Amino acid sequence: MAVAVTEAVADVGAGRRVSARHFVRLKLRVMGNNFRGQGWRIGLFALGAFAGLWFAAFGLFLFAVPGLAGNDQYATLLAAFGGGLVVLGWLLLPLIFFGVDETLDPARFALLPLPRRTLVTGLFAAALVSVPAVAVLLAASGLILTAGIFGGWSAALTQAVGVLAGLLLCVAGARAVTSAFATMLRSRRVRDLAAVLLAGAAALIAPVQLAAAAALQDADWDRLAEVAAVVGWTPFGAPWTIGIEVAQGRVWAAPVKLLITAVTVVALLAWWSRSLESAMVGTTSSSRASTRPRATGTAVTQLFPRLLGWLPRGRFGALVAREARYWWRDARRRANLITLAVVGLFVPVMLNLGGAGDTGGGALDTSSPVLVTLSMVFVGVLAAATLANQFGFDGSAYAAHVVVGVPGAVELRARMAAFSLYLLPLVLIISGVLALLVLGQPGWIGLTAGSLLATFGAGLAVNTLLSVLGAYSLPETSNPFALNSGAGVARSFLAVLSMLASAVAVIPMVVAAALLGDVWLWLALPIGAAYGLGAALLGAYLAGDVLDRRQPELLATITPRR
Amino acid sequence: MTAEHPALALHGLVKRFDAKVAVAGVDLTVPAGSFYGLLGPNGAGKTTTLSMAVGLLRPDAGGARVLGHDVWADPVRAKQLLGVMPDGVRLFDRLSGAELLAYHGLLRGMDPAVVSQRAAELLDVLALADAGRTLVVDYSAGMKKKIGLACALLHGPRLLVLDEPFEAVDPVSAALIRDILGRYVAGGGTVVFSSHVMEVVERLCSHVAILADGAIKRVGTLDEVRGEQTLEQVFVTVVGGRTATGEELAWLSR
Ligand SMILES: Nc1ncnc2c1ncn2[C@@H]1O[C@H](COP(=O)(O)OP(=O)(O)OP(=O)(O)O)[C@@H](O)[C@H]1O
Ligand SMILES: [Mg+2]
Repeated sequence: MAVAVTEAVADVGAGRRVSARHFVRLKLRVMGNNFRGQGWRIGLFALGAFAGLWFAAFGLFLFAVPGLAGNDQYATLLAAFGGGLVVLGWLLLPLIFFGVDETLDPARFALLPLPRRTLVTGLFAAALVSVPAVAVLLAASGLILTAGIFGGWSAALTQAVGVLAGLLLCVAGARAVTSAFATMLRSRRVRDLAAVLLAGAAALIAPVQLAAAAALQDADWDRLAEVAAVVGWTPFGAPWTIGIEVAQGRVWAAPVKLLITAVTVVALLAWWSRSLESAMVGTTSSSRASTRPRATGTAVTQLFPRLLGWLPRGRFGALVAREARYWWRDARRRANLITLAVVGLFVPVMLNLGGAGDTGGGALDTSSPVLVTLSMVFVGVLAAATLANQFGFDGSAYAAHVVVGVPGAVELRARMAAFSLYLLPLVLIISGVLALLVLGQPGWIGLTAGSLLATFGAGLAVNTLLSVLGAYSLPETSNPFALNSGAGVARSFLAVLSMLASAVAVIPMVVAAALLGDVWLWLALPIGAAYGLGAALLGAYLAGDVLDRRQPELLATITPRR
Repeated sequence: MTAEHPALALHGLVKRFDAKVAVAGVDLTVPAGSFYGLLGPNGAGKTTTLSMAVGLLRPDAGGARVLGHDVWADPVRAKQLLGVMPDGVRLFDRLSGAELLAYHGLLRGMDPAVVSQRAAELLDVLALADAGRTLVVDYSAGMKKKIGLACALLHGPRLLVLDEPFEAVDPVSAALIRDILGRYVAGGGTVVFSSHVMEVVERLCSHVAILADGAIKRVGTLDEVRGEQTLEQVFVTVVGGRTATGEELAWLSR
């Protein structure tokens, strides 16, 4: 027995070195276990993998075009802009849309005696094992092909290294950015909030303006090539352009560009490592003030936020009040609201500004009621899609509603109402900004607001039904962007489905904008508002009926399996 | 009106998770006015059974009646009579204690004035008033149990179903909860609860059921089940415990 003891102690002391390999194996194992006995998850995963491969094949073809065409004039252009877009997508899409797969939650490693460096490289390696990463790798092989055709084996090999470096860059960037945003969103200071808004705005403006500037000079390909050359020297384009540099005889550029990429990756990992610490130590809640002032007033008055004092003191009112508090107190929901505000404001502005600059005649030359309506449809659809997994936000807490037996229609109407409390002011701001500042046409407020309300209402109806039928559980971690493995695919499919359905539902608004001309400028607001309200109420009624019948099933699907 | 009905009647409850049979046909009759203890080793199926009894989990077979009202066919009536504290389920924990109680009360369709008055009283009795506006998510484990119990009690149910109410609460609070539940039963209510604390079950319960491997092994009044032995001895006999030989886990001692 004594032998066993000393052996064990020696084991604890020295231990076997933990390497990135263990993390990768762990991730694969966890993913496999998640699939166990859940046929639909396997199906979803296969569907996601298929979609990923499809896009990858498409990208591969695009990247290979210069090589296949035998014309290397625009090879740099394509590599720099195409690759840059890929990097940008990895940085922004997880924040706005997809979230990050957190099959391995960093917080679970907090108690293990692992050096930070091992942890970061391990988690990084695990993050590389994913469908999107494989898809990028595949798509970027098109660059290798192009480089090989123009520069032979040496160029192809260099580009292969470049593609790998580029993939590392993408994944490190996605992790670092989501993790940093998560940390920011957990903190309760408004100052950080402003920083988040600004960062998001800046992140969105830059690329769109770049694209707009490029579109302005679309006749001038050579100017564009110059821009591409510059982009090729930034981390966005560096890894993707080294093969073509070698092929075109600038061999010295390859190590420099690789260095640029490597330094960026290391910097991103260091940044990630710093925010990981707070993610590991802090639980979801720790950032909330724990020393709040003593309660004042009765329990019921405390439940209702001061601004919502007018709500009826009943079932509906209580639900709205609680939801309203949750949209702000729950980091995950808050993150959704903030990104929605940023995207909702900037995308329409950019869309309608596009190309307005050089004609000098103001926005009217390029913007039409149809374009305005379409951009508003986009915002409305995006806003409503936030509710596509509204029950997933609650997790097992929803059991309270099942125990009480809250009628489905009441519950859904209240959820819509609470979300609209945040959204309607936003709608007003967006419509106002667009009509007054961008278009310079105060008369168009009715059009913008009407389209937005109609889309939003129709979207609420669609997404409410979806939230009852297609709910999935969210992990209980401190990262509001985290998703369970496989949920990313589910989320994308549901989001696309809901957006399509809501967009279809508002086709009448777009048609009316196209056909009716000036009369529509006045009719859009009342008709749009009525249409939206009617659609939302109908949706709540229909989905409520479904909800009444499958409350326990819904609870089971949104309860996180731990 | 419902006096002739048992407070809770389970018949033929079955629940399968994939290949695993968690509950394999449970029949249980809880007489009105009884204090019913549900015992069983970890993984016996207590939580699963109670979840099916209160409408949180749809059974594969069988049904449940609360004072004569079918939980699945007539949920509105059944749920009005029920107070539930589930285990392993979150509360709406981004509300403060008072807010949470007000929320539950209003969801039940209670009068706001009554809700406020009862909430204040419950917070006071359960020593949670000091927490003020602290969010429930920041409460300690025992405090969470207590606020969960308060939520179950708020609307004055006729039947209380509690999953491990004594887990994680300190001795003073446990005594308090025993006292509250004792008075509740004395006043005509019925309590069903699961627990691992034999001493509490022996002290409180009028009836006991022992569940193992998803089936009821012993059931009856406390004295019937206990016979000449202590409850713990009966439990170990039924469950078939394993005792340490001293050989295993030797590396834990230096
Ligand atoms: N959602 C689920 N999916 C799969 N299996 C489950 C699920 N919930 C419970 N089980 C299984 O059902 C069995 C009974 O679990 P249950 O939680 O009812 O036990 P319990 O008696 O409450 O145990 P404890 O005393 O530890 O609380 C266990 O074997 C468990 O693994
Ligand atoms: Mg249990």
